[in-house]
Amino acid sequence: MNIWNIAVKEIKSSLREKRTFMFMLALPLILMLILGSALSNAFDDTRTVGDMRLLYKSDGTNEQVSTGWHAFITAIENEGVEVVQAGPGTDGNEEVRADRYTGYAVVSDDGIEFYGSSKNAIGSNILAGMLTVFADRYSLASAAYQVDPETALATITTAGQNDEFIRETTLHPNKKPRSIDYYAMAMTTMIGLYAMINASYLFSGERTNKTAIRLMAAPVSKGAIFTGKVIGCTVINLFFVLVVFLVSKFVFQADWGNHYGMVILVLLTEVVLAVSLGLGISFLFKGEGIRAINNIFTQVASFAGGAYFPIDQSGGFISLLSNFSPLHWVNTGLMQIIYTDNPTGAWFAITMNVSFATAFIIFSVFTVRRREGAFV
Amino acid sequence: MSHVLEIRQLTKKFGDFVAVDNMSLNVREGEIFGFLGANGAGKSTTINMIASLLRVTKGEINLLGKNIEKHSKFAKMNIGIVPQDIAIYEDMTAYENVRFFAGLYGLRGSLLRERTEEALEFVGLGDKSKSYPKNFSGGMKRRLNIACAIAHRPKLIIMDEPTVGIDPHSRNYILNSVRKLNDMGCTIIYTSHYMEEVEEICTRIAIVDHGKVIAEGSKEQLKAIITDTKEIWIGIRTDEPLNLQALKAIAGVTAVLQEENTIKIVSKAEINNLNRIIQQLIKDQVEIRSVEEQAPNLETVFLTLTGRNLRD
Repeated sequence: MNIWNIAVKEIKSSLREKRTFMFMLALPLILMLILGSALSNAFDDTRTVGDMRLLYKSDGTNEQVSTGWHAFITAIENEGVEVVQAGPGTDGNEEVRADRYTGYAVVSDDGIEFYGSSKNAIGSNILAGMLTVFADRYSLASAAYQVDPETALATITTAGQNDEFIRETTLHPNKKPRSIDYYAMAMTTMIGLYAMINASYLFSGERTNKTAIRLMAAPVSKGAIFTGKVIGCTVINLFFVLVVFLVSKFVFQADWGNHYGMVILVLLTEVVLAVSLGLGISFLFKGEGIRAINNIFTQVASFAGGAYFPIDQSGGFISLLSNFSPLHWVNTGLMQIIYTDNPTGAWFAITMNVSFATAFIIFSVFTVRRREGAFV
Repeated sequence: MSHVLEIRQLTKKFGDFVAVDNMSLNVREGEIFGFLGANGAGKSTTINMIASLLRVTKGEINLLGKNIEKHSKFAKMNIGIVPQDIAIYEDMTAYENVRFFAGLYGLRGSLLRERTEEALEFVGLGDKSKSYPKNFSGGMKRRLNIACAIAHRPKLIIMDEPTVGIDPHSRNYILNSVRKLNDMGCTIIYTSHYMEEVEEICTRIAIVDHGKVIAEGSKEQLKAIITDTKEIWIGIRTDEPLNLQALKAIAGVTAVLQEENTIKIVSKAEINNLNRIIQQLIKDQVEIRSVEEQAPNLETVFLTLTGRNLRD
């Protein structure tokens, strides 16, 4: 019950804080509108993912595999993917690494090995998706072959004629992020990260208010205080994120794809990560140190994570730096959900968020348990 | 009279620093117990251990016969703490503040509402229950600080400097509130830097220095310690700090303290050394404005025992 009381108190306090409202709601929505409008041309002209080149090597001796594979190639070529067979001595992986191809597939009787380009994550994911569908279809047909060889063979050879591979996996040809779509996502995730600022003052704020002594003198365990505050902070920040998400969707008509549940799950885990990160910082630093770390981290992470403009992943320092920004993996995950129609593509982001959040929470819990006095 | 609080050979160490050193004392039921000590004497550390905010290094504290470490929840339920710093949320109304903190003590529903209203009425903020503390005067905030500590009706209330920095009207209100709480059956531990407050309301007093209780008893008992003592106050023109070592060397002088433009000298009553004191000051070219001998009071007791002023 005390956990609930403390969580509700946190939520009420945040809702009454006008500055929090301005910062967590007005700022992202205004930025979304300004950046989304100002950079609309740049986005519409440059954000294409049509240039996909697949290099492949076929080691298979099985006639069924070979037949099916060629049907698959024909189908994806019709959709604009350039497919090239690797010549003898060609190092496919090196070709992809050098960014000459989006992906490299080795087809054998045992299956397909795929090596995707990290520099064109969306393109390589699209190809991986197509290959997965092909492999699934082929496996199914192989099983059927044992029972009805003729029908199964027909299934393989006709596959792709009606763009089946493509329909299931591809980026919709007309579906490209407009600038408002990009900034709707980027600002929403940026505000999710800003939850760390609120979280970093969860306990240090009690110290500043001198109310920590009252909380600790009450017959409430440290665990209940900690849990209540963390829940309250997470709920209120998720609320802000969801409001930004909903306004962007219904007012600004931003495209968030079709898998809203998955989008919200990614955002939830991002808020949990941000809250735990803020807690960790509040137990590692004091006073002005907390403010400094917050300012530096949120700004660098936002910049490197693509909050203000998309980061070119073709190499360089910023590209390297972006890998350490939670916004990078969160935004990449959301892009996969929205633009490849592939909700499972966000599991990496979810896993990263939950893993780091767990580590910071464990650190914070350990610190709270160890500390004497007014615990903050 | 039974003891509400028993402290036995209590020690608290922070690394090598001994903040509380083998302290023992009892607080009886129905007392207003003055707990006096200069800054750094170990007073706050002791209070924090009683309130379960700090762990005990050695010794034990019993509240209503139960060890507070073993029965932490019981102890917390029966203690109300009024911290020296005002501990309230500025973004919550007076009512919400009291209600939130009282709620942490397990009060719910109509009982919680009644106790919250009662506590606010008690401190004279009944008509301000919907106001935010940011609009309150210092005195009103102090009163709200008290309301937050009493709504759950604790047996023992610890008041740590509850009258710091407030106007005389609010101060009188708070002192009267302390008496009323005591009349209602609460035992109170009261700390203050204002000796006259302690003299006015406390029934028994402990003086703490260097982590130890150096004197304990009623006002009369404490004053009896210094029947052979006199206190001389010498008014001087300057408030610059003076070198008073020569005064301390005069026969009979036990303590010398300068408070702005007053030099306070504690001396043995039977030794007539006033002439030597004045001669020494003239020799040191200190311009004297007045000389008066004070009747011994708690301030004298404190100065005699600790060599320091309570406000140090």
